Amino acid sequence: MQLRWHTRIVGVLAAITITLSGVSTAGAQVSVDATTSYFRESGGGLKTQSITPSVTIEGTARDVVTLFAGWEADIVSGASVAVVDAPGSGVDAVTSATEWADQRHTATAGIGIQSERASLRGSYTYGTESDYRSHGFALTARAELFERNTTFEVSYGRGFDHVCNLLQADAQEPVDRQRLDTADGCFEGADNRAELPLDLHTVQGTWTQAWTSILATQLTLSGQVLNGYQANPYRSVWLGRAAAQEHHPENRVRYSAGLGARLWLAPLKGALQIYGRVYRDTWNVRSVTAELAYEQVVVSGLRFRLRGRYYDQTGASFFSDNYALFPRGQYFTGDRELSPMSSWVAGGRIEYDLPPGDDGNVGPFAGFALVAKFDWIKWNFDSFRYGSTPVPNDRGIIATLGLQARF
Amino acid sequence: MWVLCGASACVTVRPEEREFLAQPSMTFGSHGESQAQEVHVLTNREASFGAQGVTGGGCGCN
Repeated sequence: MQLRWHTRIVGVLAAITITLSGVSTAGAQVSVDATTSYFRESGGGLKTQSITPSVTIEGTARDVVTLFAGWEADIVSGASVAVVDAPGSGVDAVTSATEWADQRHTATAGIGIQSERASLRGSYTYGTESDYRSHGFALTARAELFERNTTFEVSYGRGFDHVCNLLQADAQEPVDRQRLDTADGCFEGADNRAELPLDLHTVQGTWTQAWTSILATQLTLSGQVLNGYQANPYRSVWLGRAAAQEHHPENRVRYSAGLGARLWLAPLKGALQIYGRVYRDTWNVRSVTAELAYEQVVVSGLRFRLRGRYYDQTGASFFSDNYALFPRGQYFTGDRELSPMSSWVAGGRIEYDLPPGDDGNVGPFAGFALVAKFDWIKWNFDSFRYGSTPVPNDRGIIATLGLQARF
Repeated sequence: MWVLCGASACVTVRPEEREFLAQPSMTFGSHGESQAQEVHVLTNREASFGAQGVTGGGCGCN
């Protein structure tokens, strides 16, 4: 059944592509982006791997109206610890980790209108996986000012999500709640399943500025308000006398500010790219991100990029690595991403725009580009242990291949 | 920020001076879908969010 569903999506996208190709001959501009990433995190008995294919099609008619549609999937499998810090766990918990697999699909469609100096885009995204459903709406407005040296963009996103959980009586205390052990019955009306809502509001403002002929900056401010279920329903935490499903606050407000700069180095025909971000939320997580990259034009149309990224965060106010001895109030979590942690990313990217022929086209296309990207990640979870065992799966890779065609 | 915005109005890079600014390497967000997929992976493995583009839905629970 899944295969039929996928085949149908590919068929629909192929039909849209052919239709848009026909439309492009009538004066519209059409682009197709197909990208696939492979992510793998491994170490000890714990692992996660995912394959993420995506296709995006966009067509613009008369430089005024844009229609776009996309599909993305996550085909994920792995093994994780179901009960964090259970007695006698440690190595045993890691080596006897629970195997799991899931698929996430998202479909997006939207419309945009633009004038010479301004644009407005709206989109809807539906996401589904065995234990999760999401409906998202986004609206983005953009304006270019001062001879296009200044660009402002403001966006608002609204999400209506639902998380599957074990049906547990409202009167039950959090310390009595049990974890969900399987997604079977989720979103199928099963008597022992509940669908818990999560509402999201996301606002983002971006100011991009060209300061000189070789220097541009971009400032981005983001805010997000979440209200609803935000824990992992599959995970339990050992509390001293028993294990209970992890229990997170239902409200969270998140703020971040990012500043990027790009400097063209004319003698090298390359660009230096710097990015920094600070983040804070009402769970008292604070973080900094710093990234440095260099992108080199090798020959016309061919360029490569090398970059390094460092990330560091504090833990959530209710995080403890041992709730039996050091409880932190009414909330408890087994999420390593809520512990104090840091990470390093190093990687490279190469992009090649195929040169056009005498007629200005690349075969049947107005343009055609290939992208290959590879990143290596190292996480440091110095404050998080499974019992007495450090996090074993603290290394990862992301490999990406993509192609972009314009008609 | 408003002061900087006001100051930016005085900055004018003329169209004929934008050769380097028009390079893909100088364009923010030019890495498109491949960057969005990386942001999706990293966002699911860090507690932070935002100020670097918008990603798709899903909880990444497992």
